Amino acid sequence: MSPPQQPSSTNPNSLKIRLTHRFLHNLNNLNKKRSNLDNTQIHQRYNRVKLAAYASMAHVVGSRRAWSRAILWKIRNRKVSTRHKRVDHKPTNHHHARSIKRRTTNHSNPKREYVDPNGNSGQEVKLRKLVPGVETMDACGLLDETADYIKCLATQVEVMRNLVDLFSTI
Amino acid sequence: MKPEFIQSNAGVWSHERMKCQQQQQSLFNENDHHLQNIVKPDPGMDECWAGLDVGAYGYQLGYGDDHMFVHGNLSSVSVSSRKRKADKGQTLKVVSKKEKKIKRCSNGDSKITRQNSNSNINNSSKNKSKVSEVQKPDYIHVRARRGQATDSHSLAERVRREKISERMKFLQDLVPGCNKITGKAGMLDEIINYVQSLQKQVEFLSMKLAGVNPELDFNIDNAFTREMFESSTSEFPALACSSANSAYFDQLNSLDQVVSYSGLDMGINSAEMGLRRSISAPVSIPESFVDSSCFSQIQPTTMWDADLQNLYKVEFDQGTLIPFQSHQFTGSNEASNNLKMET
Repeated sequence: MSPPQQPSSTNPNSLKIRLTHRFLHNLNNLNKKRSNLDNTQIHQRYNRVKLAAYASMAHVVGSRRAWSRAILWKIRNRKVSTRHKRVDHKPTNHHHARSIKRRTTNHSNPKREYVDPNGNSGQEVKLRKLVPGVETMDACGLLDETADYIKCLATQVEVMRNLVDLFSTI
Repeated sequence: MKPEFIQSNAGVWSHERMKCQQQQQSLFNENDHHLQNIVKPDPGMDECWAGLDVGAYGYQLGYGDDHMFVHGNLSSVSVSSRKRKADKGQTLKVVSKKEKKIKRCSNGDSKITRQNSNSNINNSSKNKSKVSEVQKPDYIHVRARRGQATDSHSLAERVRREKISERMKFLQDLVPGCNKITGKAGMLDEIINYVQSLQKQVEFLSMKLAGVNPELDFNIDNAFTREMFESSTSEFPALACSSANSAYFDQLNSLDQVVSYSGLDMGINSAEMGLRRSISAPVSIPESFVDSSCFSQIQPTTMWDADLQNLYKVEFDQGTLIPFQSHQFTGSNEASNNLKMET
């Protein structure tokens, strides 16, 4: 299978490069904060890496998009809540990371405007659950946000795959 | 001629006249007497005009780029179409069409008064008004397409639908493998699946990254990053053959790539170092793994060191197998690269 012709990503402002830098930066911070060498805590580290991935994605895009704002909001809430309960942060961190990631995005939307979903098809509802921050948008904006989200997710996946391959050979 | 009509139908038209006058004062810079005279002799369309008035204002606010140039209070969304009808027909025909218009335009208005008694008068006056209205250039010119409803509501609906379909087309380019799917429902399904699979991939890859030796320094400077990008461009076709057990394939493909790097002499220090390290320990890996088909699951056993083995155990337990089509990997990469060009 011949490799697809890809344009060289030497443009310093390309999304991919910005994502890479940001993600590496986040990972570095992550490793500096707590060093969990133990394999039993790999799940904890996994959660933090995942969080770093989404955070870097949201930070690179900034506040331009509803989904990035929603993710940043979630992360900020999470940090605030974990800061308050620092007693025994091993299991709570675990639950927090998981629950906040899995929870619906109503918590991320500070306005809390509840739009009647009767006009939406079942698929639209599903899509709203998948993409953060689009719960109160009309169909048009929903598709817009989805497109941007897909683009960033795909780039993030590519970056992470590159990193994994790179670090696995070192 | 015109003052006659005003006098004869004063009672009916008074409401409309007042409305028109108010709106005209607010909207029009020039006081067009002709305009006022023209509006009045059309009483049969009281409700119609009223209903469309509201719609016209909506258009002014929202859809400036469409074919609706709302200047006046004459919510003549149906002016052009009516004009055509009036030109064609005899009075009776026009009446019937006008009545149909009234029905359609009522839009929930409670009173649907068929003013049949005034119809004859209205028709002739309407004909005249049509002619004179056309002469006024600052009226609403709506290109209601042939054979389509000319309601304000249906026009707005059509605009909204077009926006949505335009975005769906864009999404079709983003999501790989959607060229053949034409329906909105099918597209939405594909989009949902794609987003879910992307999110699962992020989870999976973050698990892998978490398993990477944490003492590794993630501080990489710009030059190295660029080299990493250039070197990894050829990785994706190798990765694309995985339909299950991607962890295994990542390792396999990275080794493949390492081997190919040395062959191509890319001159990347880290890759060469990795090559030396990895090949020195399990020498027989590339051959045996390359020989095996992409879709068979071979448990890595003694050839991997303990860390990697633990990593795999965790991954197998997680069960995060990504059932993704092979063509979708390349498609997604191409798509994201296309989009990168735009950013």
